Amino acid sequence: MTKRLFNQFICCLLFLSFNAASKEYLIILKDHLFYPSQIIIPTNQKVKLLIENQDSTPEEFDSFDLNREKVLYPNRKSIIYIGPLSKGRYDFFGEFSPNTARGVVIATDKGDQNVDN
Amino acid sequence: MKVIKYCLNIAFIAFCLLLTKHANADGIVVDKVYHPYVLPFEREFEWRLVSHQTDSGNILAQRLGGGGAISDTIAVEGFIVGERDDNGDFGLKAYEIELRWQLIEQGKLWADWGALFELEKKHNEDVYEATSGFVLEKEFGKTSLTMNAFLVYEWGQDIQNEWETEFRAQYRYRYRSAFQPAVEVYVGEDFFGIGPGFIGLYRFEGQKQLKWEAGFITEVSQSEKNHSFRLALEFEF
Repeated sequence: MTKRLFNQFICCLLFLSFNAASKEYLIILKDHLFYPSQIIIPTNQKVKLLIENQDSTPEEFDSFDLNREKVLYPNRKSIIYIGPLSKGRYDFFGEFSPNTARGVVIATDKGDQNVDN
Repeated sequence: MKVIKYCLNIAFIAFCLLLTKHANADGIVVDKVYHPYVLPFEREFEWRLVSHQTDSGNILAQRLGGGGAISDTIAVEGFIVGERDDNGDFGLKAYEIELRWQLIEQGKLWADWGALFELEKKHNEDVYEATSGFVLEKEFGKTSLTMNAFLVYEWGQDIQNEWETEFRAQYRYRYRSAFQPAVEVYVGEDFFGIGPGFIGLYRFEGQKQLKWEAGFITEVSQSEKNHSFRLALEFEF
């Protein structure tokens, strides 16, 4: 009985491990501002934020709400995996320009309407 | 890539099962629960303190270190370790170098993976200790479960060569940046300790930030008194 439960647990872990993110959202960082600064995503789904830093200096994406920190190299695209999230607002900002580089991820049941500049 | 992920899962699960049956480590098991993340520009100074109280007395260990990332996914840190024994003598005890390796992009898989390698040399003694192991973190909404599974080998003229194992875990509620309460578990030889902890972070300008961690761990598998208080401060810049 225990062995069977353990095997099922292992199978479940392995299945979940390969369950990669699906939807992708492009965000541009330019002049230390995020475009769009508001990203609407569906609840309970893992998604990819594809952030293109068009500035000539690096930035660090930081969000306590999303539990993510990531260096955004200049003139490169970086991927940040987030979710699955429950309904709500999740603020993020750029550590090197915290007054200008700010944005929010909004997880809603409707989801996927994207954007608001 | 899939093969690597598969192997990581299997290896960690097998290792944890082995540890829960045969966790075996002398010395002070309570130290720090490692997280599997490395930031490319991170540089830090770190100070750790562990006060270990038993029926026979108190041992105080302090560790001072500094280091930083050497690539996008690898960070190296060096430490000097000081210890006060039961007789009240405080002195240099060991030197240590530590390498942390983030194996997987955060959030990409079901859980986040890292690896840790440490090499320690005891001061004025021919005693070496090499540690390697896996670090895993999994988010559950506003909470995070972090687990460390280490395999340790000790050798030298002044010690009997032996293999040891350690397991550490931390379940943390990300309440606020400055205050994240947690429960911590440490498992080693004849040691099963559990207790409350908390983690916090204060951000200064730019990348500068101060992280603090504290925990009070009580050994529960033996009847003798065995408490550990741990404190860690990390200044990142």
